[in-house]
Amino acid sequence: MTKLNFKKNEYTPLYITIIILFVMMSLINGHKFLSLNNLQAMAYQMPMIGLLAIGMMVSELSGGINLSLVANANFNGIFIYVVLSWLTKGDMSSANLSQVLIAISFSFLITMIIGFINGYLIAVLKIPALLETLGMMTLLKGLSLVITEGYTISGFPNSLTFLGNGDLFGVPMSLIIFILVCYIVHIILDRTVFGKQLYFTGANQTAAKYSNINIESIIIREYMLSAFFAFSCSLIMIGQMNSVKATYYDSYLLIAVLASFLGGVDPAGGFGKIMGTILASIILQIISTGLNLMRLDPFMVTAMWGAIIIFVLFGKELVKNLHRILNRRKRMA
Amino acid sequence: MKKQILEVLKKREMLLFLIIVAISLFVQSKSPSFLTYENISNVLKACSIVGIFSLGVLIVTISGGFDVSFVAIAQVSEYLVVWLLLRHIQGNIYIAFTLAILVGTLLGLFNGFLIDHYKMPAIIITISTQNLFYGIMYVITEGRLLYEVPQYLAPLSTNKIFSAVAANGAEYGISTVTVLWFALAIIVAIFLRYTISGRSIYLMGGNSLAAQRIGINITKSTLMVYGIGGAIAGIAAIAHISIIMTVIPNSIVGTEMDTIAAVILGGASITGGVGSVLGTILGVILFAIINNSLTLLQISSSWYNVFIGGIILASIIINALQLKQQSKRKVRVKVEA
Repeated sequence: MTKLNFKKNEYTPLYITIIILFVMMSLINGHKFLSLNNLQAMAYQMPMIGLLAIGMMVSELSGGINLSLVANANFNGIFIYVVLSWLTKGDMSSANLSQVLIAISFSFLITMIIGFINGYLIAVLKIPALLETLGMMTLLKGLSLVITEGYTISGFPNSLTFLGNGDLFGVPMSLIIFILVCYIVHIILDRTVFGKQLYFTGANQTAAKYSNINIESIIIREYMLSAFFAFSCSLIMIGQMNSVKATYYDSYLLIAVLASFLGGVDPAGGFGKIMGTILASIILQIISTGLNLMRLDPFMVTAMWGAIIIFVLFGKELVKNLHRILNRRKRMA
Repeated sequence: MKKQILEVLKKREMLLFLIIVAISLFVQSKSPSFLTYENISNVLKACSIVGIFSLGVLIVTISGGFDVSFVAIAQVSEYLVVWLLLRHIQGNIYIAFTLAILVGTLLGLFNGFLIDHYKMPAIIITISTQNLFYGIMYVITEGRLLYEVPQYLAPLSTNKIFSAVAANGAEYGISTVTVLWFALAIIVAIFLRYTISGRSIYLMGGNSLAAQRIGINITKSTLMVYGIGGAIAGIAAIAHISIIMTVIPNSIVGTEMDTIAAVILGGASITGGVGSVLGTILGVILFAIINNSLTLLQISSSWYNVFIGGIILASIIINALQLKQQSKRKVRVKVEA
């Protein structure tokens, strides 16, 4: 019975890919890849891809997309800087805990407002999500550029950077935050009425409408949830880069779309689970770390990330064809 | 008569044109050097590359597709063509164009094949191929710059028509790159309006099922659309080399969203079936004018994105409100009838 379940589990191909990639990278790189340091480094970096990918996934559940995710995260970091330097009158590194908390809660508020505006324009005014978030992305990036004048701003207090680069008993804080956030969102998506209604809205909007679901409120809340990931990203980002800038992680935006797709999210809406997206993020991270250890060009990593989607498509078709041939044989016998 | 005027005013092209005129007049009143022949020809030259790109993006967008890989395609064909011309082929500018169009078309067809064969969302496929093309090129070339570029490519951007001489002795005028852009725009406009293939692209974007039912071969059309998109990216590649006369592997990567935004602002619908060449040209020119006037008014260029984002959001909100009113009116008519 368990065997049958394993066969039917939609994540089996992802698990197999992870194992193959892991073994392959360990064989190529030897102990360098398997060392505790390297595994720790991977656990330290993975949450960035993971959070962005899940934020993207949440927005794709209703058939939308959120291109403003990375710009939103950068804007948050810069907003935290603005509030902190205003509270401490320019000397950010001397901020005490309560000031940091005030800055974080302000930035949380502004993220929710951005998420609300995104959701409102998409749900109520029926603007295609791709367009609306493209405009929002440009606007937020512009505001970030105006505030920072294009410079990198550093000097954050240790209590804030700890969230990104600290560790607890050897486990990176970023990973702990990642797991915590994933767990909360897992509860929201899979255990609440809102989550069920969101999946239903994405799968069939007309049916959802006639089932007395308030689609507009669902989509607005969805984009606020998506923006929440931009918020958690910005907290980790400040620690990992020890600074903020308007253009950090720009190239990760499209990677997040790829990761969510690789994790089984249907861009037309209605399907996609957190687990799949997490697994896909792990795959991308293994590729990236493995290729880096082989001292290959970082651009080789982008090429591989692009290639893997096409490989997956080829592979899926191959498996489908094999199934068809096997089934035909069975029927013949 | 009044109704007709209102109809014209409601058109996107007219709206854009009025915005452009308003901005121009405002900037002109602050900085008199704006509406001079010299400045205008410079602005047009500066936005020619984006202008050429936008024509390919327009065709893909009208067909209901989406393409973010065109910049990567242009980058690859730039590198490949210059490398071939330097090492292997004695050429001239026509051979350069032919090669670039060939490379662009092939890469575009690859996109079209993946999108059509696997029935995958175009955005996913083109993001992957963008990474793939760009990554492979960077790995093979190791990011080296090509400083030597065949000299016969230069006249395309340095030649000018209607040239005049400025007070300091510099020659200025409409660059041939701009002429190329407008010529291509006219060809694309004729293609979209008067040929069966062109009309079928609109139908495909507007209602793919209906297009299929009346006998349009969706596979062929998809391949054609992405092939043309790639070919136009190839043309833009040669124009770009001619302007900067070096091949920098990452010089235009990251500008794809600007081009897409200009096309959308020009009235093309992201869901397909709607869009015009004139609107796209006006969209590109509006962005270029904003960029130029920031410089003339001595405002920090970091404001550029704020204005662009604001304009995109404002225009789509206005559009959405108009649509909402229209649909309300439609309902009312039904009730009365």
